Amino acid sequence: MQAVILQLAVSGIAMGFVYALVAIEYTLIWNACGLLNFSHEKIITMGGYVFVGTCLFQLGLPNIPAIVLAVILLAIFGIAIAALIFIPLRNSTRLIAVVATVMLGQVINEGVILIWGSVALMPKNFLSGVSQILGATVSKSYVYIIIVSIIIIAVLQFILKKTKIGKAMTCVSQNKTAASLMGINVKVSMAITVAISFGICCIIGVLTAPIFTVKQQMSTMIALKGFCAGVIGGFGNLPAAIAGGLILGVVENFAGLILPSVFKDVVAFALMVVFMLFFPDGLVGVKNRIQKHIAKSQMEKLS
Amino acid sequence: MLDVENISTYYGNACALYDVSFSVTENEIVSIIGANGAGKSTLMKSVMGTVRPREGKIVYKGKDITHVQTHKIVKSGIVYVPEGRDVFTKLSVEDNLTMGAYSKPAKAKELNALHEEMYEMFPRLKERRKQMAGTLSGGEQQMLAIARGLMSKPDLIMFDEPSLGLAPIIVDEVFDRIQAINKRMGISVVLVEQNAFMALSISSRCYVLENGKVAMQGKSSELIDDETVKSAYLGM
Ligand SMILES: Nc1ncnc2c1ncn2[C@@H]1O[C@H](COP(=O)(O)OP(=O)(O)O)[C@@H](O)[C@H]1O
Ligand SMILES: [Mg+2]
Repeated sequence: MQAVILQLAVSGIAMGFVYALVAIEYTLIWNACGLLNFSHEKIITMGGYVFVGTCLFQLGLPNIPAIVLAVILLAIFGIAIAALIFIPLRNSTRLIAVVATVMLGQVINEGVILIWGSVALMPKNFLSGVSQILGATVSKSYVYIIIVSIIIIAVLQFILKKTKIGKAMTCVSQNKTAASLMGINVKVSMAITVAISFGICCIIGVLTAPIFTVKQQMSTMIALKGFCAGVIGGFGNLPAAIAGGLILGVVENFAGLILPSVFKDVVAFALMVVFMLFFPDGLVGVKNRIQKHIAKSQMEKLS
Repeated sequence: MLDVENISTYYGNACALYDVSFSVTENEIVSIIGANGAGKSTLMKSVMGTVRPREGKIVYKGKDITHVQTHKIVKSGIVYVPEGRDVFTKLSVEDNLTMGAYSKPAKAKELNALHEEMYEMFPRLKERRKQMAGTLSGGEQQMLAIARGLMSKPDLIMFDEPSLGLAPIIVDEVFDRIQAINKRMGISVVLVEQNAFMALSISSRCYVLENGKVAMQGKSSELIDDETVKSAYLGM
C-alpha cells in the first residue's frame, strides 16, 4: 500500500509539474501581450516533433544537443509568431485575438502533419526505465520531469527577478506605457517573453514524449489541464499557477484510488468548475481573503 | 533644447491638440496650465511618442524626434513623469528606482550611488525601500515617480500634474523638490499643472492651453498679474 501511495505521489507530482509548466507558458504570454494563446497545445506537439522527428531521427543528434536545438528552434519560431501575430494583435478586441490564436493552432497542426506525417513517433532509450525509491518502482521519466521542471522554474525566477531583461518583462506585464517611459523597448520585451514561452512548450513536449509518444493529440489533455491549473491557482500569477498545477496533479492521481480510472480526467475539470463558481480568483483569492479576515479579527481584538 | 512646432494630435477623429507650438531652453522651468481636458497630457504624450501628432514636428537638441520610438526618446534624455504617477505597484520601491535607470546602463556601484542620491533627496523612500510601491501613500508614490524619473539622469524632465490629489503640505514639498531638481541638478523642467498659482510662481515662462490650442504665453511673472489669467485660473 505504501509503495502504491508513493508511486501515485511521484507520478502525481510529476504530472502536476507538467500542468504547472503549461500554466507558466501561457501565463507569460497572457501577462506580456494580454492574449490567451490557444495555440499552445499545438506548439507543445510541434516541440515534440521537432525534438524527436527532426533533431533525433533526421539529424541523429544525441539527446542533450537534440533538446537544446529543439528549444532554440521553437524560441526562434516564437519570435517570428510574436512579430507577425501576437504583437500586432495586442490592442485588438478579445474575440479577434482568440480566433487568431485558435487558427494559428490549426495552421501549426496542419504544418506538423505536412512535415512529419501523421504517425506517432517514440524516442528510443529516452527517459526510459524505472528507478526504485523507498521500495516503490517509479518510471524514470517522472523523476526527470520533476527535476527538469524545478530547474526551469528556478531559472525563470532568476531571470524575472535578477536580470535586466527579466525585470523589463515584469514591468511590461504590469504597465506597458510606464515601461516604455522607462526606456524599455516593449515590443522586444514581448518577443523575448514569447520566445521563452515557446521554449518551455518545447520542453513540455520533450518531457512528455516518452509518456504520451509524439503524436497529434499528445498534448490535448495537458493543455486543457494547464488551463485548469491556472484557474485553480489564480489567473495571471506565476507562483499560483505552479501551486495550482501541483495540487491538480496530486489530487487527480489519488482520486484514481477511489474513483474508477475513467473518471480521472473528470476530476481536473470538476475541480476547475468548483473554483470558477466559488473561488473565481483561485488560491490567490482565497489566500487574500484569509489574510483580510485575520487582519480584521486582529483589529477587532485590539478595539 | 526642445522645440514643438505646430503639432496637431487626434484621438480617432477627435482633435485634442490644434497647431500647438512650445519650446524649452536649457535650464529653465516652463509651466503649462489649463483646465481639465485642455490637452496638457496629450501634449506631453506627443513629445514622448506614446501618442503621435498627425501634423507638425518635434525637435530635441537639433534632432527631429517626431517619429522616434518612445524608448529611444527616453534614452536621448527626456523623461516624462506621467499623470497618476504610474509606479510599478507590484515592484518594491528599490526595484522601481532600478527600473528608472533602465535606459542608462550603469555598473552596480554607480547604480547604488544613484539610489543613495535619491534616498537623500527623498528620505521617506529610504524607509520604504523594500515595500511594494502599491502600498505607498499618494504623496510617497509621487516622490517615487519623480525619483524614478531622475534615475536616468535626464536633461529634460516633464511633470504631469504632480500635485494632483495631494495634501497641501505635501504639495509644497513636491514643488520644493522640483525647484531643487532644476537649480541644483541643472535639469530643464516642464511642469504641467492645474494648480496655476504654484506653477506660475516657480516657472520662468508659461503656456496657457485652452481646448487644444495655446491661448496665451509669456513670462510667468507677467501672466500672474494678467486679468484674464487671474479670473480664469487663479480664481481671483
Ligand atoms: N486615450 C484617449 N482617447 C480619446 N480621447 C482622449 C484620450 N485621452 C484624452 N482624450 C481627450 O483629449 C482631450 C485632451 O485630454 P488631455 O490631454 O488628457 O487633457 P488634460 O491633460 O489637459 O486634462 C480631452 O477632450 C480628452 O477627452
Ligand atoms: Mg492631464
